[in-house]
Amino acid sequence: MPLITIDGKQIEVEKGVTVIQAAERLGINLPRYCYHPGLSIVGQCRICLVEIEKMPKLQVACYTPVTDGMVVHTQTPKAMRGRKDVLELLLVNHPLDCPVCDQAGECYLQDYYMKIGQYDSKMVEDKNKKHKALDIGPHVMLDSERCILCTRCVRFCNEVSKSNELGIFNRGDHAELLPYPDRRLDNNYSVNTVDICPVGALTEKDFRFEARVWYLQQTDSICPGCSMGCNVSVHTNTERDHHAEGRRVVRLKPRYNAEVNKWWMCDFGRYSYQPVDDSSRITAPMLKDGKGGWIETSWEVAIEAVAAKIKKALPLKKNAQVGIWASPQMTNEDLFVLRQFNQKLGFNQVAIGVTPKEKPFSDEFLIKEDKNPNTRGAAALGYNLDMEASRGIYRLAFDNQLAVLIIFHHDLAAGFDPQHLATALGNVQTLVFVGPNRNTTSEFAHILLPAASWPEKEGTFTNFAGRVQRLHQAVAPLGDARPEWQILKLLGKELGMSVPYLEAADIFAALGQSVPAFAGLNYERVGNSGAMLKG
Amino acid sequence: MNVHDKYKPLTFWERTYLPRIWDGLVITMHHFFRNLWHFILARFGVQREWKGAVTFQYPEIRRLFHPRLRTMHRLTKRDDGTPRCVACMMCETVCPAKCIYIVAGQRPEKEIEKVPVKFDIDLGMCVFCGYCVEACPEDAIRMDTGVIEMASYSRQSLILTKERLLSHVPHPEYYTMRKDLELAAKPVQLRTESEAGVEAH
Amino acid sequence: MAEIGIAVAKILFFVFVFVFGTAALLTWVERKQSAVMQDRIGANRAAILGLRVWGLFHIIADSLKMFFKEDFTPRGAERFLFSIAPGITMFFALVAFAAIPFADKLVVGGREIVMQIANLNVGILYVFAVMSMAVYGVVIGAWASNNNYSLIGGLRASAQMISYEVAIGVSIIGVLMVYQTVDLQELVRAQGALFGGWLPQWGIFYQPLGFLLFLTTGIAETKRIPFDTPEGESEIIGYHLEYSSMRFGMFFLTDLIETVLIACITVTLFLGGWQVPYLLPEGFHFPWGGTWALSNVTVTILQFLGFTLKVSVLLWFMMIIRWTLPRFRYDQVMSLGWKILLPVALANIIITAAVIVFF
Repeated sequence: MPLITIDGKQIEVEKGVTVIQAAERLGINLPRYCYHPGLSIVGQCRICLVEIEKMPKLQVACYTPVTDGMVVHTQTPKAMRGRKDVLELLLVNHPLDCPVCDQAGECYLQDYYMKIGQYDSKMVEDKNKKHKALDIGPHVMLDSERCILCTRCVRFCNEVSKSNELGIFNRGDHAELLPYPDRRLDNNYSVNTVDICPVGALTEKDFRFEARVWYLQQTDSICPGCSMGCNVSVHTNTERDHHAEGRRVVRLKPRYNAEVNKWWMCDFGRYSYQPVDDSSRITAPMLKDGKGGWIETSWEVAIEAVAAKIKKALPLKKNAQVGIWASPQMTNEDLFVLRQFNQKLGFNQVAIGVTPKEKPFSDEFLIKEDKNPNTRGAAALGYNLDMEASRGIYRLAFDNQLAVLIIFHHDLAAGFDPQHLATALGNVQTLVFVGPNRNTTSEFAHILLPAASWPEKEGTFTNFAGRVQRLHQAVAPLGDARPEWQILKLLGKELGMSVPYLEAADIFAALGQSVPAFAGLNYERVGNSGAMLKG
Repeated sequence: MNVHDKYKPLTFWERTYLPRIWDGLVITMHHFFRNLWHFILARFGVQREWKGAVTFQYPEIRRLFHPRLRTMHRLTKRDDGTPRCVACMMCETVCPAKCIYIVAGQRPEKEIEKVPVKFDIDLGMCVFCGYCVEACPEDAIRMDTGVIEMASYSRQSLILTKERLLSHVPHPEYYTMRKDLELAAKPVQLRTESEAGVEAH
Repeated sequence: MAEIGIAVAKILFFVFVFVFGTAALLTWVERKQSAVMQDRIGANRAAILGLRVWGLFHIIADSLKMFFKEDFTPRGAERFLFSIAPGITMFFALVAFAAIPFADKLVVGGREIVMQIANLNVGILYVFAVMSMAVYGVVIGAWASNNNYSLIGGLRASAQMISYEVAIGVSIIGVLMVYQTVDLQELVRAQGALFGGWLPQWGIFYQPLGFLLFLTTGIAETKRIPFDTPEGESEIIGYHLEYSSMRFGMFFLTDLIETVLIACITVTLFLGGWQVPYLLPEGFHFPWGGTWALSNVTVTILQFLGFTLKVSVLLWFMMIIRWTLPRFRYDQVMSLGWKILLPVALANIIITAAVIVFF
């Protein structure tokens, strides 16, 4: 294995590794525009120049393979001067419209300019004019003046999404990034090009002019869009509520996890935050008045009302059952507390999930067919995922044998015939809906309990492969909403069942002790990149 | 060295404080009688050159402002009358009082793609530090209207909207560097309220 | 019947015309005098039909404002005590004027009318007894406000009053020893005599140190700058923190009434009271031999005007002091009262006694 010395530090690396990767392992961060660990190496931008002994010229660190005994200097005046000149040339045609550019604040040009920039330009010539604010796809805007031709996006489309929409056209200083004629950047991973664009050439339409990036806070979380469980960071704007139309969750960005999604995420998942600040959110417990309208009420009143109905149905009779319809969109913690709840009170009519009528879209890369983030977790917790269980409860409801039915999250209309569903739900004596957003099913409910949405709570999801991954709370629950386990805690108190947990970590610790699949797991073990279930 | 060594000890008389109190009384009484005398002379029209007071009878007589004085904000315009502001939010970011609220919007023109849809300054919270003027990369906001009277009957009317900010005009004639002009009690013509951009209630 | 009529007339004239008039005017003087001292113009905006008369209408404007402002009682306040406290202070401040001689006897239709509301033979003791009661109103109001800061102000006020009452009582003993009386009317008459035929035998000439001590402690008794620690608006806002409207106005006016009271007592004790130099009951007897016979009414009016003039000068001087000196620190107030003024006043008594006994 070749031994390489970088800035006096030695490291042994395998063959084929380039200097920039070796430097990274030593903790030496070299500037880069075109180099991306997830893409092929082209050595396009040449900002990563380093001095290598016995080589007469400066070399690009990203494209130079390591050889045995190589001695690299990254901080010599010559190397610094080289990078400075490269940056000057990259900026020759850059329009410097940072004030209106959405990338400002997370722009590599700005960062490296502050570090190694040539502060007084030597250029007297006019800048080249190119296309501005070009609508190249459903989610992406292109400003080709700002482009430094690093080709990261081109390589992404060629290598990762394999859809080949983008290319570099014309020559010399007229070279320009554009989609191929009659093509639009329209694939299921198109916004990843915005993430990897080191400058403001590709910006996201959804985020366009919504907020400046330095107003945003980041919280690590998991995408709830499907059972893939892509790692994301939730960007929130909580201090300046006049930005982004008052939305608190402004955007999602993929977060690197070598085992799950690498650097990428799909466009469906990226916009899965939209229901969080939607007008369909339930912000307070609500009771249905006589005329079919809703009255906002307090938790005490609502919980008491639910408890009274359940108490009335106890002990369970054959024709007056209590049904629980859980959801694999709930976290492991919520499902665990719900399981305890059901066991203690003897509810055995438990269903989970709704199988959609049409087969949802999926692909071989990041988009899974199962659109629930925690199906595997629910299975590990012993929930019966079989469609027959839910059919059974549905039949009971239809046959007028349910005194109380508590539905979590789900819109049953996704899996059942709407007309038939209306009759079935209408036959339930007391229908309680617990969830963050209203839907068709919630309109049939008698009592609505607001649950916290996924960025509003702590917890874990288990992805399709059995990887338990952590959600962190990014924003406070909207209005009076609470995590499901806290709602169950309140309800349990009324029904004489104590839920001893104070926070999600307690529940997960208990989960690790009592459920074999989760044995030995706790939040420290799960950490940032997740941990696998046993077995 | 002991701090107290710097001061020489007080004598007995000084410790009674009476001489110092007397000195103070002499000064205030001197001013009292001199000014009273000047007032009386002026009242009977004997002379008008010595004044008994340095007071400017605001609002009838106004002093001119120093050019660097920060007065009420305004948004500058391009030649075509649109605001120069590009909603970059530098001022909102730098504002220590967090009294600037900008909502950005798009404009079809490719050259100026970002414009403010809303640009509110809450004068009730503004501390008149002038950082917004310093931070602006487009020279879009200035504090040279010469308007210093901002009292209002409601908090709502203290919020300057984009339209109000754009309607404000600079008043260079209110400013001067010349000491002699500044000290001459020269009446400045009063602006009407609409000119000053202050809404009547 | 006539006695009661005369008594009521005297009360009406001396208390409601003289004292209230002077106190109200003082609100204007306070602002205008400070303005002149500080090269300003002062209050001059209140106008009736464009007439401004140097801001005199501000008195009317202020009193109207006081009457029409919201009368606020804080939650948790002792409502009854909170309401009567300003009345208590003002009552005792006004009652003290009963013993002040404003002029000599006026003879109307063969009836001798003493120009003093109540001719007490223990006049000065009465005045001090009543003055020391005034602090009750302050302490009650401060406590009833249910506010920590006003309570601190009330405690400071009571501590200050008690401390300076000792010194103020001791400081006048010299004068009483010299004139051998505590009846204020007699005391003033005794000051009418002349040294060497030309210098009136006023207390200030017998007791210059006593005068200084009395004036200092007297200003302290009024709780005004430089002794305004009970108020201390830059630190605790003081005993009237929770008061508004006319209740505050009464506290405010009481301060000024007390100032007038202290000025009246000082004049009575040290500046010859209503004595006008060389004016005897029959008219002027100048030391250079001339005489000018005047009727009893004229003499009484002259005496009253003389008294008023002396009080005015003293009030002016107290204003000058109020706008010249900064506030003492609380500990300085205490150490000044106990460690300086009281020992010096005691020494003054001993020296006076020694002089009287041995000369």
